[in-house]
Amino acid sequence: MTGTARLKLLVLPAALFVLAVYAWPTLGLFRNAFNETGPTGAMIEAWSLKTSQEVFSDGFTFELTLNSLWLSLSATLIALMLSYPVALFLFRTTSRFRGLLAVIAIMPMLISGVVRVFGWLAILGDRGLVNTLAQSLGLISTPIKLVFNWTGVTIGLAESIMPYMILALLAGFGQLDRTLEEASRSLGASPARTFWRVTLPLSLPALALAAGLGFVLSMSAYITPKLLGGGRVFVLATEIFEQATTNTNWPVASVLAIYTLLLLLLLLVASNIAAKGLQR
Amino acid sequence: MPTRRLVIQAGLASIAAPAIVRAQGLSGSITLMSYSGIFQDNYTKTVIEPFQQAFPGIKVNFAPGGTSAQMVGSVRAQKADPQIDVAIMDVTTSSIGNSEGLFEKLTPAEFPVLNELLPEARAAGGEYGPAVTFDHLVLVYDTQNLKPPLATLADLWRPDLKGQLAISAPPNIQGLALTAMVEKMTGGDYRKSIDNAIKKLRELAPSVNTFEPNPDGYSLILNGVVKVATGWNARSQLYADQTGGKIGALLPPEGSVFQINTINLTAGSKNRAAAAAFVNYALSQAAQKAFTERMFYAPTNAQAAIDPKAIARTAAAPDSRARMIGLDWNDVLKVRDQWNNRWRREVIAAAR
Amino acid sequence: MSYLELSGLQKRYRDSVAVDDVSLSVEQGEAVALLGPSGCGKTTTLRMLAGLVDPDRGAILLDDTEITRLPAHRRNMGYVFQSYALFPHLTVARNVGFGLEERGIAKAEIARQVTEALALVRLAGLDGRRPRELSGGQQQRVALARALVIRPAVLLLDESLSNLDAKLRDTMRHEIRSIQRSLGITTLFVTHDQVEALTMCDRIAVMDRGRIAQIGSPEDIYERPATRFVAEFVGRANALPATRDAEGRAVLWGQALPVKAPARGAFDLFVRPQRMRIVPVSEPVADGMARVTGRVLRSVFVGDHVEVLFEGAGGQLTIETQSGTAALPEGTEVAVIWQARDTLPFARETP
Repeated sequence: MTGTARLKLLVLPAALFVLAVYAWPTLGLFRNAFNETGPTGAMIEAWSLKTSQEVFSDGFTFELTLNSLWLSLSATLIALMLSYPVALFLFRTTSRFRGLLAVIAIMPMLISGVVRVFGWLAILGDRGLVNTLAQSLGLISTPIKLVFNWTGVTIGLAESIMPYMILALLAGFGQLDRTLEEASRSLGASPARTFWRVTLPLSLPALALAAGLGFVLSMSAYITPKLLGGGRVFVLATEIFEQATTNTNWPVASVLAIYTLLLLLLLLVASNIAAKGLQR
Repeated sequence: MPTRRLVIQAGLASIAAPAIVRAQGLSGSITLMSYSGIFQDNYTKTVIEPFQQAFPGIKVNFAPGGTSAQMVGSVRAQKADPQIDVAIMDVTTSSIGNSEGLFEKLTPAEFPVLNELLPEARAAGGEYGPAVTFDHLVLVYDTQNLKPPLATLADLWRPDLKGQLAISAPPNIQGLALTAMVEKMTGGDYRKSIDNAIKKLRELAPSVNTFEPNPDGYSLILNGVVKVATGWNARSQLYADQTGGKIGALLPPEGSVFQINTINLTAGSKNRAAAAAFVNYALSQAAQKAFTERMFYAPTNAQAAIDPKAIARTAAAPDSRARMIGLDWNDVLKVRDQWNNRWRREVIAAAR
Repeated sequence: MSYLELSGLQKRYRDSVAVDDVSLSVEQGEAVALLGPSGCGKTTTLRMLAGLVDPDRGAILLDDTEITRLPAHRRNMGYVFQSYALFPHLTVARNVGFGLEERGIAKAEIARQVTEALALVRLAGLDGRRPRELSGGQQQRVALARALVIRPAVLLLDESLSNLDAKLRDTMRHEIRSIQRSLGITTLFVTHDQVEALTMCDRIAVMDRGRIAQIGSPEDIYERPATRFVAEFVGRANALPATRDAEGRAVLWGQALPVKAPARGAFDLFVRPQRMRIVPVSEPVADGMARVTGRVLRSVFVGDHVEVLFEGAGGQLTIETQSGTAALPEGTEVAVIWQARDTLPFARETP
């Protein structure tokens, strides 16, 4: 056996694992998508496109898609603007606490999404930190609605994808060399000009990578829209869950899941192409 | 009420099991799937443990199943190789399981206890598993901070409740039940149209804090997030007791709707005899009495002799019974998607 | 006052001193090398000059103006980085024009100056290339053009040739030197390569552990090293442990030499291998010459010269002789002689 063949063998357990926990259920998903649902909700085994036709002729599916895209876009942009300075700082700092700081930055990743959401409720709720503070400062007289609506979901989602985006940015900062910024400074560019002409352009591949990841994570996020949305935020992920676990409508849930999967694949490919284009 | 001593006796009984097992002729273990949390705790104490004492050869495993829809999903996924023998779930989902052939039909010949049940309990399951508990939709409210207290369904529209409501919207069955109740309140009949209800609910929408209370409406009230929520009577009564009356449960004079849990025997159960014995026991007078007195679900066994104090706090109390709207969940299932869409487009959209 | 004055510069890092105390005066148009081993503080000194590192103490004066705290982008220093630091996302022309763009110069004028600068470094026509499409030598030239085009007050080169192969390094050395001379631009080189320092500069500052050990012309540094460190670092030298006799002369391997020994302490005699000659044992000793006897251990042909390893009564030394002469067979008894004034006694360092 050659070295590479042996190396390939090392991938086998992982491949089998993925096959078992991902490929197989996905196949089940495909199967269910061709089933039908009876008038009282019973699943009827079939090989038909009736469910797909129903799903795609329903204007609500289109609305859900737009909602998902819009939510993902806004959460990603907010998270990107917040993650970039953090990642840049972590990338550059020579502090001996760099490791610790990096861990702190990605710590939210280690906390359950549900716990994080309840944290946001405590901060953004009617009687939460923000409203209490704003009221005691006399800025507002009645609480402003920051949760159980799009605002809350966008904030919560942006926060939840930030650690991933910070990691993606750090991984993508390959070209970003401190010396290049020094060269720019030595050539007469102020720190602001240096950022604009050197740092930012060289960060673009990393930003594209992070944005792609954040977007995909947002598209598939379920807990945050569900718990912070107050039943007002309808996106593909929540609808899939609702159809599967409240309506017992597996065929519709499967069609929507496959649709979302294809949408995500498309986005991943597009973001990959964009990142490669920027790297050139 | 099973005391600690009873539990210990049950334990001792199982050590001495072999001899008795032969006597009973039933042994092995079965899995019961139902709601987790306080339902599991109380059902284990009032029904499962006494059953195990009566049938020392049988071990009942309680598998928490999430929502009813998730439970029927589990049974569906295990159709080829069932791991769950008995499932207690909402009638709207058990009926799906019935029509998919996931559950067995039950006959009075094999289950004589069926003859003791209320007619509507039998009717709920048709030829399949009958109702094992009755519950109803209530308005749960904060007894300490809501002045005056909630008295009617129409009170939801009170201006002082703006932003203080946690309403479970469809497809949650609380939302479906509320729709029928509001239609009735406005003089209509859900079987014909819900136009009145939707119009009225649309006016309510801006007052709603959340249409999806998490983890549930009771907690949101106890945490001070809202003052009123939709809820189920049994849990509300229990939480009211547990919190020293901090929350109250109102059966609106305008009427309410039954929520029905059925008990279902899985088709192809690997220990069918033991599972059947459990179904029989769960519907028996003793089990029904014990569980109602513990958790205030109305009994489905007409002959269960229940403490009047407990009965008064269930929908089985005569004056409560009179207020119930005759809602057939099988009717609602057919229009569920339609109601759901109207809520999303007309009600929730008005609250944004 | 000189054009560029560094006085008492110091830079400390967390637990080490990078630059301890550096003072240096540079005349306009002069090329000065900061030569030293890695970690001697030469690059830090250069970075302080460019404003990329803040000194903890000391001052930098340029043309009588203090610039110690002036931000880097307002110093007008042309810095050529060791890694060249070309902007990978910009073309060669945009790289070279970068500094001019920052100075708000008109587009047409930038284009003209860029073309001129590229011609100067013999890269005409490569305007549209990206840095990664260039060879190492070409990248080096772009970096040089980019630093020169802004007409810097001082040109700073940080180990600029170390990434090139030996042959290219020779070419670039001469090119940079001739450009520097023709433009008359004040230049500071940082290098650990003595050949670079000796050939490219008017003066050399040899640095050792954050301080300047010696400043002088290449000849001074080579011929008259002021410290043992300089003698060891610049050029090659035999370091021969010696003792002192009653008359205060140095004694090597039991033979008194006409060299004055230091008054006290252990010391070594430093003699450059190419200053030594091999002669027959029978040849008489001339006045002012030092002489030891022994035998040839080994001869190694190095191309332009031959290295002869010689063993005497008390140790070994190396002699460089011109190639072309017949190699002496191993074991030949010979004498090694050199001018007494080519012998430099330095106190032995106590480790």
